[in-house]
Amino acid sequence: MSLYDKVSVVGAGMTRFHHKIHADKQGRELFSEAALEAVSSVDNGFSLKDDVDALFLGYFSSDMFEGQAHTAALMADWIGIAPKPAVRVEAACASSGAAMNLGVMAIASGIYDVVIVGGVEKMRNLDTSKVTDTLAMAADTSYEVAMGFTFPGLYAAIANAHFEKYGSTWEQLATISIKNHANGALNPKAQYQETIMETANKLGERKGVKFRNEMEFLNSDLNPVVASPLRVFDCCPISDGAAAVILASNKVAKKFTDTPVHISGIGQASDTIALHDRDELTSLKATRLASKQAYEMAKVEPKDFDVACVHDCFTIAEIVATEDLGFFPRGQGGSAAVEGKTSLDGDIPINPDGGLKAKGHPVGATGAAMVVEMYKQLRGEAGEHQVKGAQVGLAHNVGAAGATVTVQIFRS
Amino acid sequence: MSDFTVNWFRELLNEDHLVGVRCKSCGELMLPPRMICKNCGSTDLEEYEFKGTGKVKTSTTIYVPLTRFQEISPHSVGIVEMDEGVSISGLILSEGKEPKIGEKVEAIFFKNEDQTVLAFKPVQV
Repeated sequence: MSLYDKVSVVGAGMTRFHHKIHADKQGRELFSEAALEAVSSVDNGFSLKDDVDALFLGYFSSDMFEGQAHTAALMADWIGIAPKPAVRVEAACASSGAAMNLGVMAIASGIYDVVIVGGVEKMRNLDTSKVTDTLAMAADTSYEVAMGFTFPGLYAAIANAHFEKYGSTWEQLATISIKNHANGALNPKAQYQETIMETANKLGERKGVKFRNEMEFLNSDLNPVVASPLRVFDCCPISDGAAAVILASNKVAKKFTDTPVHISGIGQASDTIALHDRDELTSLKATRLASKQAYEMAKVEPKDFDVACVHDCFTIAEIVATEDLGFFPRGQGGSAAVEGKTSLDGDIPINPDGGLKAKGHPVGATGAAMVVEMYKQLRGEAGEHQVKGAQVGLAHNVGAAGATVTVQIFRS
Repeated sequence: MSDFTVNWFRELLNEDHLVGVRCKSCGELMLPPRMICKNCGSTDLEEYEFKGTGKVKTSTTIYVPLTRFQEISPHSVGIVEMDEGVSISGLILSEGKEPKIGEKVEAIFFKNEDQTVLAFKPVQV
């Protein structure tokens, strides 16, 4: 089946992702802000009230973070699209990636012409230890979390297995962090808009220490270990934020814009919930399967991509993702990053928006925010972090340690 | 329907037994126990007790723990491949040393806040 002629993105918007500035807001206000920006991005105008047929919302844990369930209907009410149907999708950190695929399928089926796909997470209502407990619920609470694994702990275990098997190093992980913070510094929506060196200078000044380079800072006590070998700057931050994307059938898309971003392939796969049940600890099988589906649907190969947003919840996750997506051979994702191949001016720029690492990771909003970035990149509207001439892009969203993975492929 | 539940596993863990199931159709061993064979889909399963010895496949030491592990933090946790060939997660009690991949370990039953946590300690060679 060819999707290319069926479904397009015609508008996209997001809040800035941040750990502090949204303190006085709830999820509904963040989502409303994202939806309003998506509306204002539509070239020929758009009416939430008249033009939307349905809402697919990704929200991982409104229940724990906000003490609020039934959030799809709530968001539909708050953006003024009721009585149109609304459904919440929960797939951990891949919640809005999964919502996106459902939105695409709903339009491709011919049942709806226009849907909003959204994502939101209001995490900062809880302190860090409660956030750690809540995120761990995305793993197997009976058989992994009960034995002491945290969510960063699972990725740390993947990192150590990758180090052992391929000889990859913590310095390679640090390269990912340095790159993504450099990209985030160019993105006005990012939580952290400064390079690691700028952060090192600022924190160093406060402590009376001078760092000669990023690595010296990242190796210091100012970057403590969370779960060995992962340190604070290997982990995405805790963030509040929302994103919203407007999808339209190609039948009606031209009413909204002359330059839609086409969706040419989607894929999704599941894997065992527990990491210990997998044959391989250095690769996410669900990424390989989801991307294979999407590549076949879109008739593309890894070498065809100009830009990609991959799920870098931890630095090791970006290395594993670029291998599983076929951008680099197994075991070479880290060295490819060190060689600059994934930098903004590299062969295949990865996470030009700063990724989860610097842009932030309000869990349920991340998959939709990747689509926001693709919409901007493929229309040449990404500003300072624009990848020149980008025409084919990919979004890769992972739930927890890979039990859910979604992929979408975009074409200008 | 089988009784091979999470609660059954926990009760036996409390009594210092590490149990899973064996599929009577295809012979697949599963730890923790399941209701449906993950290899062939059969529901004809039987209790299978594991010896408790194996080797570390990967591990990490956690410095930002879950609230209920704060008392013993920093603590190591990992994935252990049992001698019978299946793998499971557990604490690794290696007296402050980072566990090594490939290191031989044996199961111990660690009591933490009224709950038994599956743990492993290095085998003295």
